Amino acid sequence: MFDSGGMHLWAIATAATVAAACALTGSFLVVRRMSLLGDAISHAVLPGIVLAVLAGGRPGGALVFAGAVAAALVAVGITHLLRTRAGLAEDAGAGVAFTTLFATGVVLVTAVASRIDLDPGCVLYGILELVPFDTVPVPLPGPGSVEVPRAFLTGAAVLAVLSLAVVLCWKELQFTAFDPDAARAAGMPVAAVSVGLLVATSLATVASFEAVGAILVVAMLVVPAAAAELLVRRFHVMVVLAITLGVSGSILGYLAAWRWNTNAAGMIAVVLGMEYLLAALLAPGDGVVARIVTRESLRWRVACEDGLALLWRAEESGVSPSQTPRSWFDQWTLLWLAFRGRVTLGEGGLLTPQGREEARVIVRSHRLWEAWLGRNVELPLDHLHPPAEWVEHHLGAAVRERIAAEVGGHDADPHGREIPPER
Amino acid sequence: MTSRPLSTADSVSTPSPPALEYHDVTVAYGRRPVLWNIDLVVASPSLFGIIGPNGAGKSTLLKAALGLVPLSGGEVRIFGRPLAEVRGRVGYVPQRESVDWDFPVNVLDVVLMGTYARLGWFRRPRAPERLLAMECLERVGLADVATRQIGRLSGGQQQRVFLARALAQRADLYFLDEPMAGVDARSQEGIFRVLSDLRDEGKLVIIVHHDLRSAAEWCDNVALVDMRLVATGPAAAVLTPANLRRTYAGRLDVLDEIGRAVEEGGRTP
Repeated sequence: MFDSGGMHLWAIATAATVAAACALTGSFLVVRRMSLLGDAISHAVLPGIVLAVLAGGRPGGALVFAGAVAAALVAVGITHLLRTRAGLAEDAGAGVAFTTLFATGVVLVTAVASRIDLDPGCVLYGILELVPFDTVPVPLPGPGSVEVPRAFLTGAAVLAVLSLAVVLCWKELQFTAFDPDAARAAGMPVAAVSVGLLVATSLATVASFEAVGAILVVAMLVVPAAAAELLVRRFHVMVVLAITLGVSGSILGYLAAWRWNTNAAGMIAVVLGMEYLLAALLAPGDGVVARIVTRESLRWRVACEDGLALLWRAEESGVSPSQTPRSWFDQWTLLWLAFRGRVTLGEGGLLTPQGREEARVIVRSHRLWEAWLGRNVELPLDHLHPPAEWVEHHLGAAVRERIAAEVGGHDADPHGREIPPER
Repeated sequence: MTSRPLSTADSVSTPSPPALEYHDVTVAYGRRPVLWNIDLVVASPSLFGIIGPNGAGKSTLLKAALGLVPLSGGEVRIFGRPLAEVRGRVGYVPQRESVDWDFPVNVLDVVLMGTYARLGWFRRPRAPERLLAMECLERVGLADVATRQIGRLSGGQQQRVFLARALAQRADLYFLDEPMAGVDARSQEGIFRVLSDLRDEGKLVIIVHHDLRSAAEWCDNVALVDMRLVATGPAAAVLTPANLRRTYAGRLDVLDEIGRAVEEGGRTP
């Protein structure tokens, strides 16, 4: 028997192991846009498990795995038949087949619950906390043996098998996931890979059943992989990251559940969800934060450049810039420009030589674009300014040169103002 | 390229079989035929265009040769043999929209997929495969974006990545499904140049194409397809106003009607 710390360690190890197996399988489901299949299979295996237990199988035993895989294949077969024979759309067919099978499983398990070693609540939600109490002796290299939770052994075996399969068949798995038609044309066993993924999903699901149950296993399959996909751009990196997220989420979730004395499986799923939220916020490039930073830094650059151009135009027309009113935002940009040595404060701001150089290029971009629009687009004169006010911040030297060559000979914009030289 | 199916002794006595033969091929989706009794023989080397209106079964014609759709009748032979025996000599570029370009792989990863079939089970691509993939990328002018995620490429660049992957297969017969769809004029010229180079190296290149003018300019031979084979031969001889009218304007509604009747198990009016 264990002391209480050891028991918690075994529970955590079990959760982490099945989370790794689920994240590994789930990565393929997610990139193939088949996440819902994971959901469906995790439900459809239930009647297979119940029948296997009724037939004398032990939870986590070979018979139960066989029953689960068979039920998953039956469900997929029914979906296929509904689509090809009854003309039902794929998603509707799956909806019919998988829920019916799941419901059959629920009815079965409730009807025969008294006769078998299978608790309906455990099937749905898992009882991670009780996993350490159901142990089998594992012989040690020396004399004696150690008691190891059966659920951990099951999870570790499934994880080992799936990892080996992924490492050995990586090429085939990657190619068929990305481009099944080309893979099939090249002679890859596309159908076999699809069935293999189905079997893998069933195995990962059954291995996770006792730990997290049929409903929350979907979180382990889909959420870490979906979060990893947001964060990285290479498939093998994504798989490793998904496993890392799944394992760390299980450990954190279990500890949090222990601390606040609540359901461990539920807490793990909540932590995984929070990991996803963090990934969505912090993802490079497309993440919420990255997008805000991009947008705001553009806004800031535009404001600074507008401030410089304003001062340049004031110099050009001989008006004192202090007479133009400024918002607080513009005041801040002026301070920043002063800090960067582009302007000196006082009299509403005066351009330094470096600031004047940059401002001239902005105004040049503006007037070049007005001249180009005037030549190539039929717009009234007073419609030229707004687009130029926007495009001036996005023109580089090479494109300015091309535009200058195209509007060549004109050193004035359509309003008759001089287009300042490049340097 | 490494092993020709026919020994030199054979090829002296009998001419080598044509690279691609369709014999009386009919293809149905469900029960409804979309290609009727196609008889077509194409010999290497050639840059061969398949032209026809939307829904004419052009892509299906390629998929029939590649074993991606079951044949309801007839047979396809490639280099005189069934496809299964010569898969390694056949390259395929599917339509660009057929894959998810957000998939987490970079350009080089995709091109390396072209070497997978030759590698066989359990072997990983190594330095020679990487070198080959980079050569193929150079050939289509994409060597400088090798490490970029594929979703961040333009449409023309994506098509060229697919072309590079097919090149990495080192095939003798290439099928390309609409390789110019969504491609700017400059990329299109570049792709056609690579394809005609392949032809000059003695390969057979079959492209499904929609633009009649560039087809006439680049393709040696074309086939006009509209559920059945309308005409085939040199572009100038096939793309005549009369043939085009037969293909585009005067669609044979009778094939559509019979197809529908077959599907529904009924009778045509």
